[in-house]
Amino acid sequence: MSEIKSDETLDARGLSCPMPLLKTKKAIEKLASGQVLEILGTDPGSRNDLPGWAKRMGHEYLGDTEDEGFIRFYVRRK
Amino acid sequence: MSEHNAFSNKLKDIYQSLFCQQWPALTGGILLGLLSILILAWSRPWGIVGGIRNWADWLFYGIGVFSEKPMNAFLHSSSVMDMGLILGAFASALMAKEFALRIPPKIEIIKGIIGGILMGVGSSLAIGCNVGAFYSPLINLSASGFPMMAGLIIGAYIGLRCILWELERFPPETTGFVATKKEQQKGFDWKASQPWFGTLIFISLVVWAYLYGSLAYTQIGGLLLFGTAFGVVLQRCRFCFVRAFRDPFMTGEAGMVGAVAVSTVIGSVGVAILKWNGFRNESVYVVPAFWWGGLIGGIIFGIGMVIAGGCGSGTLWRVAEGQLKLWIALFVFAASNSLMTAMLHYSGWRSKLGSAIFLPDFFGWSGSLILILFVLFVWYMILFWNEETNKFTII
Repeated sequence: MSEIKSDETLDARGLSCPMPLLKTKKAIEKLASGQVLEILGTDPGSRNDLPGWAKRMGHEYLGDTEDEGFIRFYVRRK
Repeated sequence: MSEHNAFSNKLKDIYQSLFCQQWPALTGGILLGLLSILILAWSRPWGIVGGIRNWADWLFYGIGVFSEKPMNAFLHSSSVMDMGLILGAFASALMAKEFALRIPPKIEIIKGIIGGILMGVGSSLAIGCNVGAFYSPLINLSASGFPMMAGLIIGAYIGLRCILWELERFPPETTGFVATKKEQQKGFDWKASQPWFGTLIFISLVVWAYLYGSLAYTQIGGLLLFGTAFGVVLQRCRFCFVRAFRDPFMTGEAGMVGAVAVSTVIGSVGVAILKWNGFRNESVYVVPAFWWGGLIGGIIFGIGMVIAGGCGSGTLWRVAEGQLKLWIALFVFAASNSLMTAMLHYSGWRSKLGSAIFLPDFFGWSGSLILILFVLFVWYMILFWNEETNKFTII
């Protein structure tokens, strides 16, 4: 879990619902299939929103890790 | 295992099941519905805007804009409920170690201001926010809840269009920053000690309510604790009316729609029981905003809540979580509602927002409940169908 290699990073820290999700959607569209997007966020709601959205869209939610005052989320594009 | 261990392990279990996971939205919907019945049985229906307007009235009175002295904020029923809600959600966020100052980038601050202005104006026209003009009126069998609901749907759609326009214009990049954990450098682990502060706030709220009781304001004390309960439920479920109205257009998700619908139906049955038996006056929360006040107010409020990222209730519990964007939105929301309400009052427009219609006068008691059930069921079914087909989804 600790060693996920990401291809791009989206900084969504300080943003509140629904901006982290909308920006993630935009950012992942720029990736190629199989690439991993790392999202940095501070909204506790993202813990439920991102996995739920990824599942609906068919992307693979790889998990999240706690960092110093923010959370790192990982999603692999379908 | 010693008896003492079994006891403390059980306490830990309870703590973890309450505060380490988000509660399901449907649980929240059911609890809010039940709380809405109990709070009316105790004193009055749940509302938000009256309280925050009282705070802004004090501000304007203080700087000399208003000449009339507002009611004492600590005896104003809606104000005390709001205090309970914010502190309850704050304590709940601390218990879950979810409190942090979240500093938004500049564009979000601007959105907080714009959203706040629109919410203030909209809630003034509709005579309430998503709670006081949609949820509580429907539960209280007031016809004004329906145009507000239609307005919120239209407003949420327009608001989401605005956000999508913003995303096109300002594509995602590295934005925002976060308060660093300075506390840890001082050797104090703030995050780990949050639950202790949360517990302290819960205890203080109970003591505070007890003080009200000892000063013969027992009813106000009860409202403080009801507000606390609303705050805890909202924060633990991240219960979000914005989501119910916006997400069908955004991700297609209809889960929050179902939760709001179930909540409203439960509440309306309970309130009908209280009102039919004569325990509560029929006219309670039958808001004179049918129909154009509710509709126009709903549209404006709906746009505002999507741009701000929080409605009446959602703004308050997010404030309690430390989201600074919503602090700004709340301040502007309260101020613009206070000014707009004063303007409507002095211009005589307040009486022209619509009429107060008690549904049972037209449809009978059972007819009214069936009507509410039917409308909310159709709303949910259409959006459930949309969840599968994405017909209304615009992103």
